[in-house]
Amino acid sequence: MAHHDHKPLTTDLIDLDHEPETKPEAIEQLLDLAVDAGRVNDREQALTDLHAREKEATTGVGMGIGIPHAKSSAVEAPTIAFTRSSEGIDFDAMDDEPATLIFMLLVPAAGGEEHLQMLSSLSRSLMHEETRTALQKAESPERVESIILEAVEQ
Amino acid sequence: MIERTITVVPEDGLHARPASQVVEAANSYESKVTVGPAGSDGVDAASMLAVTGLGVGPGDEVDITADGPDEEAAIDDLEEILTTPEHGDNGEEQ
Repeated sequence: MAHHDHKPLTTDLIDLDHEPETKPEAIEQLLDLAVDAGRVNDREQALTDLHAREKEATTGVGMGIGIPHAKSSAVEAPTIAFTRSSEGIDFDAMDDEPATLIFMLLVPAAGGEEHLQMLSSLSRSLMHEETRTALQKAESPERVESIILEAVEQ
Repeated sequence: MIERTITVVPEDGLHARPASQVVEAANSYESKVTVGPAGSDGVDAASMLAVTGLGVGPGDEVDITADGPDEEAAIDDLEEILTTPEHGDNGEEQ
């Protein structure tokens, strides 16, 4: 795995205080976290790329999980952002289960296949009910950070 | 049960549109359908999360299986999706 100056996820990219109510709102909110953390240099471009990917096929992968993601020239470094919804929001998932755990994955355009590795590691980890429960119950961004970093580093 | 080993053709591998086509197809048959890297245990092809977790790319070999009353049709459908270049609107299909 390539080395970077930053971990893909830091606590400022985790928002447990504001629950998005719709899928577009979740995407905007998570992108804002990445922009505020200085990881995206062109918000509009990143949003366009996220929506283009979403249009191709929904990132509502079922089991209550949404993982909007994009490889984008607007992105400075591989980034994960996270928020939750206690009631769940419609993420166009094929199993119709509302998303309660929402992740955003952003990688630079030059990132090769790295984003797909991050995406598949995260997905594999989220297959386990204990990972999903731990994320739903985590009470601090620090706890969320350690669960997710452990998941993507496997 | 039927099992076939195929090489994944779509440029996105088992991600994005091809992945959602696989999951949609797997959900439309009564048979249980699995997909996984050649030589190892497959995952439930009806689960988008499971399929995304495979991290299968273009050119990778995968084993697909179907088991049930409509297994023949199911496996044919899956094979077709995984061996057909993507018909994107960017003209990049081979």
